Amino acid sequence: MTRTFFVSSALIALVLFGIAFGNQIVESSATPTRFHNSMPLIDIADTNTVLLPNRSPLVSFRILFMTGSAFDPKGKEGLASLTASMLAEGGSRAKTYAQITDAMYPMATSFQWQVDKEMTVFSGTTHLDNLEKYYSLIREMLLEPGFREDDFKRLKEQAVNYLKNSLRGGNDEELGKEVLYTMIYPATHPYGHQNVGAVGALERMTLKDVRDFYQANYTQANLVIGLAGGYPEGFPKTVEADFAKLPKGKPTTAKFVFPRQALGTKIEIVQRETRSTAISLGFPITVTRADRDWPALAVIASYFGQHRSSNSYLYQRLREARGLNYGDYAYVEYFPRGMFQFQPDPNLGRRLQIFQIWIRPVEPQNGHFALRAALYEYDRLMRDGMSKEVFESTREFLSKYANVLIATQDAQLGYALDSRYYHLADFPTYMREQLAKLTLDDVNRAIKQYLKSDSMRIAIVTKDASGLRDAIINNRPSPITYNSPKAKEITDEDKIIETYKIVVKPTDVAIVLVEKVFE
Amino acid sequence: MDLIPTHGGYRNLKSFQVAQVVYDLTVRFCDRYIEKRSRKESIMIKLLIIALVILSLPMLTLAQKSRQAFAYDYTIDDLPNGLRLVTVPTDYPNLVALYIVVQTGSRNEPEKGKSGYAHLFEHLMFRGSEHYTGQERDEVLKKAGADSNAYTTDDRTVYHEVFSKDDLDRILELEADRFQHLKYSPDGYKTETKAVLGEFNKNSANPEEKLFEVLRATAYQRHTYSHTTMGFIEDIEDMPNQYEYSLQFYSRYYRPEYTTIVLVGDVKRDDALAMTKKYFGAWKRGTYVPEIPGETEQKEPRENHVDWPSETLPLIYVAFRGPAYSDYKKDKAALDLVAPLAFGENSDLYQKLVLQEQKVEELSYSFDDHVDPELFYVSAKVKDLKDVDYVRQQILDTYKRFSNEAVPQAKLDSTRSRLRYEFALSMNSSEAIASSLANYIGLRRTPLTIDKLFALYDTITPNDIRDTAHRYFVDSHRTIVTLNTKKEVAK
Repeated sequence: MTRTFFVSSALIALVLFGIAFGNQIVESSATPTRFHNSMPLIDIADTNTVLLPNRSPLVSFRILFMTGSAFDPKGKEGLASLTASMLAEGGSRAKTYAQITDAMYPMATSFQWQVDKEMTVFSGTTHLDNLEKYYSLIREMLLEPGFREDDFKRLKEQAVNYLKNSLRGGNDEELGKEVLYTMIYPATHPYGHQNVGAVGALERMTLKDVRDFYQANYTQANLVIGLAGGYPEGFPKTVEADFAKLPKGKPTTAKFVFPRQALGTKIEIVQRETRSTAISLGFPITVTRADRDWPALAVIASYFGQHRSSNSYLYQRLREARGLNYGDYAYVEYFPRGMFQFQPDPNLGRRLQIFQIWIRPVEPQNGHFALRAALYEYDRLMRDGMSKEVFESTREFLSKYANVLIATQDAQLGYALDSRYYHLADFPTYMREQLAKLTLDDVNRAIKQYLKSDSMRIAIVTKDASGLRDAIINNRPSPITYNSPKAKEITDEDKIIETYKIVVKPTDVAIVLVEKVFE
Repeated sequence: MDLIPTHGGYRNLKSFQVAQVVYDLTVRFCDRYIEKRSRKESIMIKLLIIALVILSLPMLTLAQKSRQAFAYDYTIDDLPNGLRLVTVPTDYPNLVALYIVVQTGSRNEPEKGKSGYAHLFEHLMFRGSEHYTGQERDEVLKKAGADSNAYTTDDRTVYHEVFSKDDLDRILELEADRFQHLKYSPDGYKTETKAVLGEFNKNSANPEEKLFEVLRATAYQRHTYSHTTMGFIEDIEDMPNQYEYSLQFYSRYYRPEYTTIVLVGDVKRDDALAMTKKYFGAWKRGTYVPEIPGETEQKEPRENHVDWPSETLPLIYVAFRGPAYSDYKKDKAALDLVAPLAFGENSDLYQKLVLQEQKVEELSYSFDDHVDPELFYVSAKVKDLKDVDYVRQQILDTYKRFSNEAVPQAKLDSTRSRLRYEFALSMNSSEAIASSLANYIGLRRTPLTIDKLFALYDTITPNDIRDTAHRYFVDSHRTIVTLNTKKEVAK
């Protein structure tokens, strides 16, 4: 036996080791793990870090800044959103955006951003193998932004095109929902403009505006760090230390006055060349997730119109019984992009919310009928409340469904950050406990207390705006015809609905050309 | 050292470092304490080698396992009637994801005037069955806190629910009833066809949906991929008159041999199998096999255009005929790698058109796994109408370039890495695992195909990529469609 043989044999053994573990770099990722610690370790008063450690091979980041479009300076609507996009979709000081995408590419990672009224969140998940590389990229992006002219030009155009083309030209449903919000919050209110901004304001915006907004809002005072997954011990401390380089700052504050609505119904009909008619209606409510009565309202909204579920009253009446459209839902919290997803995104915390009904596009000849049907059913909810039976089943649904909402560690982290914002225990525990305590009386009292119909706001997107306006203000009957016989119960009800009175002054039914929306 | 791939990064591995330390220590020990060429040295060396080899053997098994892209243990059980059950226990607590995959999609609609029925069925399956009305079914699901829905693609229809594990038995019973004894009245049927029209209407506000419809209809002339999952609008409008046909469709395809039940989460195989036998055991095997017409040879490039009635950015889709899904032929795997290399976010073309010149708002590609040959297409949302021709040429040049030049090895390796991490990152809940699996179950009825596919990716060389691109990206197999705001509307 020679030394050479020894060395080569040992090398073969090493190679075997190498093969064995070499592959594990990537593939071990899918090793399932038990999330043994999903209780957030938070102390609202003392720390700006929310940690959800577990044994997952994935690490999720949610870096939250308590700022958003409510803090856009006057005349600079869309600045918060543009600034966030410059951080997440622009270069850092050291790297161009092209270099960043290049670095992210083999890791299959990305860095997402979301701007709402009061929250701006940056999120991403990486495999533990790439934690260091990924973190150093996003750290640079957030702490040492490049603020380059060419990124600015591209992202500003992207924002303008989103408003002009995606929203106005390609998604009637989201358009209707967003118009509803602008009807409820006046332009002077911090919530009074679309999160992405207004076309005119965006076109005037400069790179200096972005720098200034970043300077003032991306501060330690506004920062909450969220981490979940199998990150190494000590990693949170590193992140905290890095982000301590942000200026101390003061928490962004603004007056969020409840948007009291003038009495009476108001309708805005957006005129657009389209096959169908999209309807959204609602009014502001004084309750948020932080309030005692929120679980009661959550039960009401779920019963009346659980998002994208056939398991809801409105859906059963409008779609299942009548085939009016694709679906009909109700909400007590802001839920953007609902046509693309089944569960809401976290980190859309707001101090002010609205109650909203979403009627998905109907055939234009049924637009008036569908609106009447929605109002009729809503009035019935207010009048009759919920029965014991549906209360029990909805409550059971929601207490279990909370687990579905937090099925991924990223969602758990998002909900934990929201719970911190609303000063609650972790979400499923909170829901389970509160729902267990809830009674039918609580829910029916909440219906009486919070659901109103004396100041309903209605947004409609349709082609023949003036025809629809005419029909509405003259309360013209809107009989519906079906392609198949319907049960007597339905046709009897239809007779009531087709002449169901919408009390609205002609001056309160406005027509808006689609080109003028979010200008 | 050729045995170890240079790109393996093996020197960073713990195992390598440990082995190196063991090796170094042994050599030093021998050098210091053992006489050269003595028997002792020989024994030491032999012992060391034996130890290392023994240590390595279980790791090889581990390697075998960790080579698998789908790294979960699973079981496959076939019932005598042809129904298949795939069970994947995970450690995510409390929840179970149930995906029932029917290998029927809009591909299975070859009869004229009958497009859109696979998708219509996705709706009808919620309208009640022999032992449960739609409402009773909803109540059971509601009490289970279930998230329940369904979707249809070209090749499959998938019914899925996520719920608390305690409700599994009840929900399987419910599912078995609608799969074997669906019951809907002619009136209920007609009402549902209106909901389908409503879905078409909501989609129709989107120019991208429209252009995709036109791309399909232009590129395919015989094959059923010529229509989208929704179906042709004239067929949707005729659906209310086709109750009898709908019954026939159900009887053809809602059969055990077309169906696979996938259970992922807090679930045990034995329980799942017993329940499946109990509720689905009596389901009768069918006999129907559709004749899907093959697509004719395309002899020259095709083009089409859409005038859009409202404001939009101009769109252009540039497509070539691609191959069907395969886990053993290299074509599909090679083109899967071409797609991000040539048109992904860090491709030269993307950087040029989107980041530097900023003439394009969005650039993306599509080449999904399909049962039959599918289009490979690139789509661009152009900022200015006057740049559409330029963008078109840039896209065509890129196709050409990848057909003529081999990509650098490093780029290919980082793309492979991306595909693997992408898959790993998508496995972040029981539902996500089931949802990823559904695609492959629809194609091959087994998770094994995932491992084969990823193994195939590892064998692709830069030359394979160039040669495959060269064969597929030929002018006579090209279809280009465009869309922009019609002149009267454009300002």
